Amino acid sequence: MTAPVISNVPEPSSVEPTAHRPAPRVRWRTPRWMRGTVLVWIAAVVLVAAVLAAVFAPWLAPNDPDRIDLMNQYASPSAAHWFGTDSLGRDLLSRMMHGARTALLGPLLVVIGSTILGMLLGLLAAWRGGWVDAVLARLFDLLFAFPALLLAILAVALFGKGLVAPVIAMAIAYAPIVARLTRQLVLAEKQRAYVSAYRVQGFGGGWIALNRVLPNVTPVVGAQSTLNFGYVLAELAGLSFLGLGVQAPQSDWGSMINEAQVGLLSGHYLPAIIPAVAVVLVVVAVNILGEEFAERIGGNKA
Amino acid sequence: MSLLEISQLTLDLPGGKRLLHGIDLSVEPGRTVGLVGESGSGKSLTARTALGLFPERAVLGGSVRVDGVEVLGLAGPALRALRRRDVAMVFQDPRAGINPVRTLGDHLTEALRLGEGVSGEAARKRAMELMEAVRLPRPEKHFHQYPHELSGGQLQRIMIAGALMGNPRLLVCDEPTTALDVTTQAEIVRLLATLRDERGMGMLFITHDLGLAGALCDDVVVLAGGRVQERGDMAAVLAAPAAEYTRRLVAATPSLHLDDAPVVSLPDAGRLAGAGGRHEAGPATGGAAAGEAPDGAASAEATAGTRAGDDAVVPAEPAVPSAPAAGATAGTGAGDDAVVPLLRVDGVSRTYAVRGKDPVTAVADASFAIPRGAALGVVGESGSGKSTLARMVVGLETPDRGTITVAGKDRTGTPRGREERLAHARSVQMVFQDPYLSLDPRIPVHRAVRDAAALHAEGRDPAKVATELLDRVGLTVEQQAARPRTLSGGQRQRVAMARALAVQPELLVMDEATSALDVSVQAQVLELVTQLRAERGLTVLFISHDLGVVRRVCDETLVLRRGEIVEAGPTAALLDHPAHEYTRLLLDSVPRPDAGWRLAG
Repeated sequence: MTAPVISNVPEPSSVEPTAHRPAPRVRWRTPRWMRGTVLVWIAAVVLVAAVLAAVFAPWLAPNDPDRIDLMNQYASPSAAHWFGTDSLGRDLLSRMMHGARTALLGPLLVVIGSTILGMLLGLLAAWRGGWVDAVLARLFDLLFAFPALLLAILAVALFGKGLVAPVIAMAIAYAPIVARLTRQLVLAEKQRAYVSAYRVQGFGGGWIALNRVLPNVTPVVGAQSTLNFGYVLAELAGLSFLGLGVQAPQSDWGSMINEAQVGLLSGHYLPAIIPAVAVVLVVVAVNILGEEFAERIGGNKA
Repeated sequence: MSLLEISQLTLDLPGGKRLLHGIDLSVEPGRTVGLVGESGSGKSLTARTALGLFPERAVLGGSVRVDGVEVLGLAGPALRALRRRDVAMVFQDPRAGINPVRTLGDHLTEALRLGEGVSGEAARKRAMELMEAVRLPRPEKHFHQYPHELSGGQLQRIMIAGALMGNPRLLVCDEPTTALDVTTQAEIVRLLATLRDERGMGMLFITHDLGLAGALCDDVVVLAGGRVQERGDMAAVLAAPAAEYTRRLVAATPSLHLDDAPVVSLPDAGRLAGAGGRHEAGPATGGAAAGEAPDGAASAEATAGTRAGDDAVVPAEPAVPSAPAAGATAGTGAGDDAVVPLLRVDGVSRTYAVRGKDPVTAVADASFAIPRGAALGVVGESGSGKSTLARMVVGLETPDRGTITVAGKDRTGTPRGREERLAHARSVQMVFQDPYLSLDPRIPVHRAVRDAAALHAEGRDPAKVATELLDRVGLTVEQQAARPRTLSGGQRQRVAMARALAVQPELLVMDEATSALDVSVQAQVLELVTQLRAERGLTVLFISHDLGVVRRVCDETLVLRRGEIVEAGPTAALLDHPAHEYTRLLLDSVPRPDAGWRLAG
């Protein structure tokens, strides 16, 4: 297992088996015929299964994910190893379950962080207007110019490998997306007479903004933010695929794909395909659910 | 054979909900049929079936024939041909119905060029003719203009011209003047009457305003809840409405009672005496109508006294109507406050800077005062500055010049700091125009009122205050716990009033507070205002574009035009003997049966 250096980036990314390209601004659109309750339920089941596997991994996993068994390299799926084993004979199912913890926790933290940060900045920009708005808008533009992944790599370069630095970097990178949406919604909300009504009643501007306007835009912003979850998951997986995220021996879907690269050449596809499929499944499931939320909330609003 | 023959029309939604319950209706060539009803009555649904327009997947029954041809079931080329040649429609909001990025010429000629294969030059010629026919001043210029360059009234003329391009025999007008000012409305309605006469078209005119229908239509069909309540000759129905619903509608329509005494909720019998009297006099001139007014009012009041008891149509206590007027007059003249008026607006001006254009003067040097307990009406069209005036009084805007005092204290400009904010709020509260926007969608109404009361508690129990006020404005316990979304417009406006009263203001500003409501709901809200004034000695600044509404509520009225006060005085005197030409124009623009618009051609 060799951790690719930065100059290698284009090459491994061209082999990256996930269907998701690292350009997160292009939104996935589920085709119309696929929309509907069945798909939503399947997505929910996939996501719940992934979450349960992650939360209860220490109890559910059949094996120690880090136990190396060199006698059992690249074992095929069997009763003992449902998904088989990897190049070091480690149980893939157990690694997948433990890997889900970091794979899901990272994006969750990023989504929470970027939502809080973005909503506050967006609210500030829209509510204060004037130079505050102008300065923040330029700041958002600046952040938008950097791909999130690049920012995360930068953070890793500055603060070292692991989960913390990339998560903070990605939270900052995704905040402008949330902030712009919030700003737009708050601007529209600010025009509505109920805000004037609160003012006439004698409520202060800050109180109205935080206690009344912000909660009113939260559902829409929240639904949009869940859509970011999928992109972040894929990007963080990409990061650990590059060897910059979660470090061995701790398992993570992205790093599992990376480790499995070597095996690909000798015809051992399973160790790479399983985590790749997991990433795709979760990303698609989150997108379906996110769109469903966004649509329902949008429908209620109108 | 009738031009349009709708018989036993039913419409069911996919969910099984029936919206139209067997509508019968016919339109003869050269005649105008008014389709009158409040929101949700099914009037638009009914009229649109004439063009084969109805909700997706709706199930229709009965028959709709245009010139003997069944429209229901028509599809594809046949339906398009019907819409191109036989039936045309004018919609409510001209700005919403036109593509903003294409020129008006494009809009007008498109159907002819693409649908009928007419050459560009011929289509252009026809567009020019029609733009002249709808009395647009400069057809050559308009042809190359974009929608945003025209006013709402001009744009509606374009839409009418567009509807006439295919030379239709039936014109369906769906509230074509609701988005327009009253003076513009009068012009458009006169134009429609002329065009109908010139072309011998049949016209189906949808409106919620019985007065407007009376001004234009020959026949009327009154719709409520998807059922025909009454049909017949327009004048006859107005003079002697047979159905109870129509009677209520006639009573609630302010424009029909412009000459009555300013009393709320007059029993129907009285109303009708006045209306009938006017109508027999024929298309009376303004002077004759004014001269007749005192009689009408007197007889109305006399009848009110005698008939109120047995007339079940009026829901409220018969004693209420006369009380507020008396209370108001007493308040106006009474006691120590007569010297210092409650609200004094002194030389107030407000100008807005518009980028790239000359600054707009919204309010110019306005001065007036309201005695404690009185109600002042401010009348004007859009752009007259009446809303800016209201926003300055409540402290949402700061005037450029001048001062505003409430109860002797300076309340000029937006308040700064908590103390000032609360003090300002206790001086003035406001009920906004659109009850769908002025309530926070997330907050249950009881909590909304309680929050306002808690902010100005002064030893009161906010929850109790909220319950009392909401009870007073007539909301049930379930409605009080509900979010605004589940309430109707009228209920929401009651909540807005309770919320304003929770602050215990000295002055209540109502900015077009009833203009978004149906007429019958408007009548209820107006009555509530009058009752609350009597109970609480509330002073009211009432802003409206509707002279009839002002007549009902206000002791004094001032007329605003382009930011300037052109006339002011006691409401009755002002409306009976308008001194300024603009006031006269406004009065002449009020749609009523004797307006003489039908005879325009």
